[in-house]
Amino acid sequence: MGIIYLMLVVSLGIALFFLFSFLWATKNGQFDDDYTPSIRILFDDEIIVESEQTNHTEDDGSRKV
Amino acid sequence: MSETCYHCGDDVIGRGYSLGDKPFCCNGCKSVFQLLSENGLNSFYTMEENAGSKPKTSDIHRYDFLDLPAIKERYIDFEDDNSIHVVLFLPAIHCSSCIYLLENIHKVEPKILSCQTNFTERTARIIFLKSSFTLPDLAMLLDRIGYPPNFEEQKKINQSIDKTFLYKIGVAGFAFGSIMLWSFPEYLGMENLDAGIRSFTSYLSFFISIPVLLYSARDYYVSAFKAIRYKQVNIDVPITLGIIALYAQSCYHIFSGSGPGYMDSFAGFIFFLLIGKWFQRKTYRSLSFDRDYTSYFPVAVLRIVDEEEQIVEIEKIEEGDHIMIRNDEIVPCDVILVSDSTQIDYSFVTGESVPVSISKGQLVYAGGRLIGAKTRFQAKSKSERSRLANLWNKSSESSKEKSTSQANWDRLSTYFLIGVIIVAVASAIIWAFIDVNQIVTTVVSVLIVACPCALALSRPFTFGNTMRKLGKNGLYLQNTEVIEEINSVTDIVFDKTGTLTKGSQEKVVFEGAELSSTEWISLLILANSSTHVLSRTIVGWIKNKELKVASNIDLTNYQEILGQGIQGEVNGNLVKIGNAKSMNLAPEDGTFVAIGGKVKGKFLFESELRDGLEAMLSKLNSKYAVHVLSGDSEKDAALMKSAFPEIENCYFKQSPEDKFNYTKNLQSKGKRVMMIGDGLNDSGALAKAEVGIAISEDVFQFSPNSNGILEANHLHRLNSLLETSNFAKTVLRICLGFSILYNLIGLGFAITGNLTPLVAAVLMPISSISIVLISTVFIQFRK
Repeated sequence: MGIIYLMLVVSLGIALFFLFSFLWATKNGQFDDDYTPSIRILFDDEIIVESEQTNHTEDDGSRKV
Repeated sequence: MSETCYHCGDDVIGRGYSLGDKPFCCNGCKSVFQLLSENGLNSFYTMEENAGSKPKTSDIHRYDFLDLPAIKERYIDFEDDNSIHVVLFLPAIHCSSCIYLLENIHKVEPKILSCQTNFTERTARIIFLKSSFTLPDLAMLLDRIGYPPNFEEQKKINQSIDKTFLYKIGVAGFAFGSIMLWSFPEYLGMENLDAGIRSFTSYLSFFISIPVLLYSARDYYVSAFKAIRYKQVNIDVPITLGIIALYAQSCYHIFSGSGPGYMDSFAGFIFFLLIGKWFQRKTYRSLSFDRDYTSYFPVAVLRIVDEEEQIVEIEKIEEGDHIMIRNDEIVPCDVILVSDSTQIDYSFVTGESVPVSISKGQLVYAGGRLIGAKTRFQAKSKSERSRLANLWNKSSESSKEKSTSQANWDRLSTYFLIGVIIVAVASAIIWAFIDVNQIVTTVVSVLIVACPCALALSRPFTFGNTMRKLGKNGLYLQNTEVIEEINSVTDIVFDKTGTLTKGSQEKVVFEGAELSSTEWISLLILANSSTHVLSRTIVGWIKNKELKVASNIDLTNYQEILGQGIQGEVNGNLVKIGNAKSMNLAPEDGTFVAIGGKVKGKFLFESELRDGLEAMLSKLNSKYAVHVLSGDSEKDAALMKSAFPEIENCYFKQSPEDKFNYTKNLQSKGKRVMMIGDGLNDSGALAKAEVGIAISEDVFQFSPNSNGILEANHLHRLNSLLETSNFAKTVLRICLGFSILYNLIGLGFAITGNLTPLVAAVLMPISSISIVLISTVFIQFRK
C-alpha cells in the first residue's frame, strides 16, 4: 500500500501545478478579455498571406485586388 | 434600390464618389478605403460587409491639447527612451473587422509598433515610437480612419480589474477537488481499509484547507464582523457561523483521529459561494453609469492671452478669461459670446437637437455644442461652478438611502439566524435527556447544516441571470441590486424630449412653394454632402419621397459656410440650404432653401414620438402611476394628449430643478420612483429616483449618470422588460423554497445525530447545483 502515499503526493503535486498555472495566467491578464482573442486567432493566416503579397507585389502593385 | 457605400454601408445618393467599381457615400469613406488598400488591408472588407465607420471631418488641431505635458501624462501608460504605451478608449469599435484594422494599423503607420484591442472594453493598447510621431498624430490617424479616441472618458478605463477574487476562487477550487479526491474511499465506505493512509489524507486535507479558511473565505468574516459591530445581522453572519462550526468540527475529527471530517464539504461550500458572488459581479465594463460632468467637457481649451491662442487644461480657465471654441466642441463653462453670433446645439443638455442662435453678449450655458465657425467667448465662471456642474453636484449629494430590498434580505437573515439558534438549543435540550455526550456533536451539526449555502446562492444566481437576460434585450443595469429596486417601483416618470420623442430624427415640415422632383433631388444631393444633424434629417425626409435619382447628377463647388449653411452647384444650378442669415432674411426660425438664387421655402422641425409607445404606456399605466415631464413649452401638449389619453400627470416647462423636486415630492408621499430620461437636464431626477434609467441611441455615447442604460429602440418593450425583472421575484421565491427544503432535510439528519461527513458531502453540492440550475432554467427559458 506504500504506493498510495506516493500517488497521493503526486496527485497533490499535479493539482498544485494547475493551481499555480491558474494564478499565473490570471496575473498575466489571461482572463481580462475573453472575447477579442477568439476573433484575433482568425486573422493570423491572412496576415501572413497579406505580408507575402506586399513583398511580391512591390514591383507590380497593379496586380493586387 | 440605390447602391450602398462599400465602406460604411450607407446609401449612395446621386453619382457619389466611386473608385474603380466600388461606390462610396462620401469623400471620407473613400479616403479610408484608399488608405487601407494602399497598405494591403483589403481583408477589412471581406470579413464583414460594410464594416467601416464613417469618418467625420474634424479640425486638424483637434488633438493638439495632447501635446500639453500635464495632459499627456494622464494618458500615457508607460514611456521609455524609444517608445510610448497608451491605452485609448475607442467607442467606434463594433465588429471583428474593426479589430483586424486596428491590430494591423502598423501597416498604415510604421511608427506604431503594436496595437492590441480589447473588444469588450472598446479599448486599444498601442505602443508607438517616440521619434517624429506624437500622441496627437496617433489620435488624428485613428480619427481619420473612423475611430476617434474619446479622451474625456479615459480616466475610468485605467482602473485595473480586481484579480484577487479569481485567485480566491482558484484556491478554493483546488482545495475542493484535491480533498474530494482522497475522500473518495470514505464515500465508498472503505474507511477501515488502512488507518495509516486515512490519517495521512486527513492531515493533508487539514493543511490544504488552511488557505481556504484564511484567504478564500476572508470576505465573509469581514462582512459578518462589520454587521455585528453595528448590531445588525446579514446573510454573512449565519454563513460565517456555519464555516467556523464546519471547520472546528473537522479539525476535532482529524486531531482526535476519528476521520477526515467535513473538509471536502467545507472547501466545496466556499467554492460555490465564491462562484455565486463572481456570477453576480458581472458588469458591463465598456459602459459607464457613474459619469460625472467632467467626462462630458473637453480636456483642454484654447485660451487667449495677449491675442495669442494657447492650449490650457480646462481647470485653469478663470472667470473673465477669453476662450476660443471651434466647430463641434463643447462649451466648457458658462460663457458670454464675444464674437458676433453663433449657434449652439443644446441636445445633450435639453434633448432638443435643433440648434439655438446666439447673438453677441448673450449668455451660453456650459454643455452646449458649438455649431459654426471658431468663436470667441468670455468665461463667466469656472467650469466646476457652471450651472451644469451645480446641477450635477446637487443631484449627487442627494445619494440614495440603503435599498429597502437589501434591508428585507437582512431581515430574512435575522429570522434565519434566530431559527437556527432555536433549533440548536431545542435539540441540545432533547439530547440532554437521551445522551449527554451527543449534545456538542448535535449542536455543531445543526450549525453546519443550517449554513445557508443554497439560500446565499439563490439571490446572486437569480439576479445575475435576470441581469444578463435584460442586457440581451437592450437594458443594461449597473448591478444586480437595481433589479430589486425596479421590482419595488410604484411610479414611473418619463422625460418627454429625447425620451418619448425621438432625439435626432425629428418630424420635418416643409413650408413654401411646391417643388419639382428635380428640385427635391438637387436639395437631397446637396444635403447629403453634409454631416450636420439637420442635413441628415432633411436627407432622411426627402428620401421618403422615393424619388428616382439619376446617377448623372454632379455636385460641384460644394461649400460649408459655418454658422450659416451649405451650398453647391447641382448640374450647374446654385442650391443653398441654410438659416435665415444665409438667405439675407430677417432672423426667423427654420432652415431655408434657395434654388437658383431664389428662396423657395423652409423646413421646420418638430418632435416626433418614438414608435410603439402607445401600447407600452397604456400597459404600464394599468400597473404603475405614469407621469410625463417635459422641458418644452406646451406646444406639444395636444400631441401628448392625443397620443396618450390615459396619462393625467403631464407637466410642461419643467426645469431640471423642477424635475428633481417632482421626484422628491413623489418620494415624500411614500412612492418609489423610476425616472426615465436622456439628457443632462434629467440628471438630477435620475439620481434622486430609486431607479434612474438613461435612454440612449448609442449606449457607448454619453448618457447621464444612472442605474441603467436602455437602448432607445427597445423603449417600446419597457413593459416586458419590467415583467422580466418582476419574474426574478418569483424565481427567487422558488429558490428560497428549495433551499429551505434542503435545510429541513439536513436538520433532520443533524437533530437525529446522523449527519455524517458523507451525508454533508452529498447534500451540499446537490443543494447548491440545483439552485443554480433552477434559477438559470427558469429565467433563460422564459420567452
